[in-house]
Amino acid sequence: MSKIYYHAKIAAGVGDPQCYKGKTGSPPRFKVGDRVKIRDLPDVFYTQTPTYTRGMSATVAELVYESPAPEDEAWGHLDKPEWFYSLIFRQKDLWPDYPEAYANDTLQAEISERWLEPA
Amino acid sequence: MSSSNVQKPAQHAPNPDIFDHARFRECMRTAHDLGGEQDDEPISLLEREEGEKKEWEANTFVTCECLAWRGIWNTVEKHRRHVDLGTTQYLSLPYYGRWLISAARVMVDKEHVTLTELINKMDEVKKRHEQNILPR
Repeated sequence: MSKIYYHAKIAAGVGDPQCYKGKTGSPPRFKVGDRVKIRDLPDVFYTQTPTYTRGMSATVAELVYESPAPEDEAWGHLDKPEWFYSLIFRQKDLWPDYPEAYANDTLQAEISERWLEPA
Repeated sequence: MSSSNVQKPAQHAPNPDIFDHARFRECMRTAHDLGGEQDDEPISLLEREEGEKKEWEANTFVTCECLAWRGIWNTVEKHRRHVDLGTTQYLSLPYYGRWLISAARVMVDKEHVTLTELINKMDEVKKRHEQNILPR
């Protein structure tokens, strides 16, 4: 993987994540409404995928943008952007003790494609 | 014999025989992944408005932005470096303290200053501050 440190130059005058638009090079794997499951990848050094979402199912609410995944961007690797999905989880799925009175509550989070598999 | 400078020892690892995957996972947990953590109270919301930044906080913010403009790091790397501080420092430093220590660390790691230069400068500034001498 080649290394590009100069994020500020790539994003200048365009913004982030707009500067990665159309750069994934492949169509998104999932579409709005799809049920997906969060993969339980190893926790090594850094991620933005919270532990409490691992193994949980969610619904795709929106394809939000293309961007390098946090695990890449955190070391300056900007050359392999991927799709980010806004996902809706049921709070009751995430927290077993969540009160029955709020059974319809949801939580929405943005997670990159590598973390998702079909539910 | 006691000294206030002595650091508290880290918790000892268990016998390797009982160091199972659950224990490994617990130990690899990243400092920022706090969702669902048991606590007496919910995490407090911002105590101050954005405009009420202290001078050192504003200076830290600008320093970190300059490091990004000059291509030293990007925002995600900055966040990753907050996590790299480890749980003890991550939780005990104030918010912009994480930024400041991470900024110092990235400049040492990427050889923009040496640790020796940083230590000597910190010592110099501390002494100057103690003597109330303004910078030239």
